[in-house]
Amino acid sequence: MTPVWLGLIGLALTLPVPALLARAAWPQLAPAAGIVLWQSLALAAVLAISGAALSTALWLVSHDALAWWHIGLHVAILGVGVLVWGRFWWSARKVWSETSARRERQRQLADLLGEPHGALPAVRILAEQTPIAYCIPRRGDSRVVISSGTVESLDDAALQAVLEHERAHVTLRHDVVLEAFGVLHRAFPRPLRTDAPLRQSQVLVELMADDVARRRCGDQALARAIVALAGSDAPRGTLGAGGDALLRINRLRSPASPAARRASAATSLALSVLVIVGPTVTLAVPWMHHAVQLL
Amino acid sequence: MNVLWDAPAPMTVREVLDGLEERDLAYTTVMTVLDRLGTKDMVKRERDGRAFRYAPATTRDAATSELLHDALDQAGVDRTAALVHFARTVDPDEAAALRAALDDILDRT
Repeated sequence: MTPVWLGLIGLALTLPVPALLARAAWPQLAPAAGIVLWQSLALAAVLAISGAALSTALWLVSHDALAWWHIGLHVAILGVGVLVWGRFWWSARKVWSETSARRERQRQLADLLGEPHGALPAVRILAEQTPIAYCIPRRGDSRVVISSGTVESLDDAALQAVLEHERAHVTLRHDVVLEAFGVLHRAFPRPLRTDAPLRQSQVLVELMADDVARRRCGDQALARAIVALAGSDAPRGTLGAGGDALLRINRLRSPASPAARRASAATSLALSVLVIVGPTVTLAVPWMHHAVQLL
Repeated sequence: MNVLWDAPAPMTVREVLDGLEERDLAYTTVMTVLDRLGTKDMVKRERDGRAFRYAPATTRDAATSELLHDALDQAGVDRTAALVHFARTVDPDEAAALRAALDDILDRT
C-alpha cells in the first residue's frame, strides 16, 4: 500500500495543495518563511513521487501472481516517477544553460553599452528613456541595470530604494530560488503541471526584496519607485506579472502588524516541517525497514 | 566599443589606442581586448596590408535594442528567470489604482 499512499501524497502536493495555498494571502505576511514553505512543498512532492516509484519497483520485483489491474496501477506509479525524474534532470540542464547564456549576453551588452553609476561599479545606466530596472544575477559578478529614464523620473531616495531592492535579489540569491522553481515547473509533465509554485515564489521574492528596501530607505521612497516604474507607459512587448505592483503597494499602504507577521512565519515553518517529516516518518521509514528485511 | 562606434571607418589597434583618451593602456592590452570582442561577435576585423582594421559588428542602436528587447521580453512563467526586474509595467487601469494607493501612502505622513 505504501506506493499508493506515497503516490497519492505526491499527487496531492503537486496539484491541489499548491492551488489552495496560492489563494491564501497569509504567507505573504512573512515572505521568507513563505518561500521556505513552497520549497518544502516542492521537495515533499518530489520525495513522495520518488518514494512511490522506488517502493513500486520493489513491490513489483518481490511479488508474483498478481491481478492485472494491481500491476497496472503500480506500473503507472513507477512510470510517473521515472518520467518526473528524467524530466527533472533534462529540465535542470536546459534551464541552467539557457539562463547562463542569456545572462552572459546581457552582462556583456550592459558592460559595453551602459555607463557606471557614480561610484558603484556594478550598476549600469543605459541611454534609454523608458524607466527600467533589473538585475543580472551572477555569483560575485552581478549587475544592476537601470535606464537613464529611471534616474530622471526618481528622486534620490526612490532610486536608492530600487538599487537596494535589486541588490537584495542578488545577495539573497533569488536567482537560484527562481531557477529551482523554474526547473520543477518544467520537470512535471503538462497534465501534472501547475503555475502556482512558480508564480508564488516570484511574488514572495519581490516582497522579500521590498522588505530590505523598506528597512533601508523607508516605505514612501519604495512606494514612489514602484509607481514610477510600474506605472510608466509600457512600450515594447512587456508581458507582466503586472498584478504584483498593486499587491506590493497595498502592502505598503496597510502594513501588517508584527504579531500577524510572526504568526504567518510560524505557520509557514510549521507546515514546512509537517509536509516533509509527516510522510517520511509515517510511510518512508517503515517502508525502508520493510525493504531492508526483504533484501 | 565607444571608440569603434564613434569612428567613421574601421580602425587599427593603434588608432583605437589613440582614441582612448582617458586611460594609459598598453598596445597589447587593447589588442587583446579587441580580439576578445571579436570572439564575442561584437567586432569584426579585416586585413589591410600587414595590419588588421576593426569595426563594430553591430551598431550601437542595434545592440541597445537587442539588450532592451531581451530584458523586457520575459514571456510568462515558462521563460527562465535570467533577469529579475524591479517592477513590470501594468495596464492603465492598474496604473491609476497604483497612483491612488501612492497618494494614500504619501498623505499618511
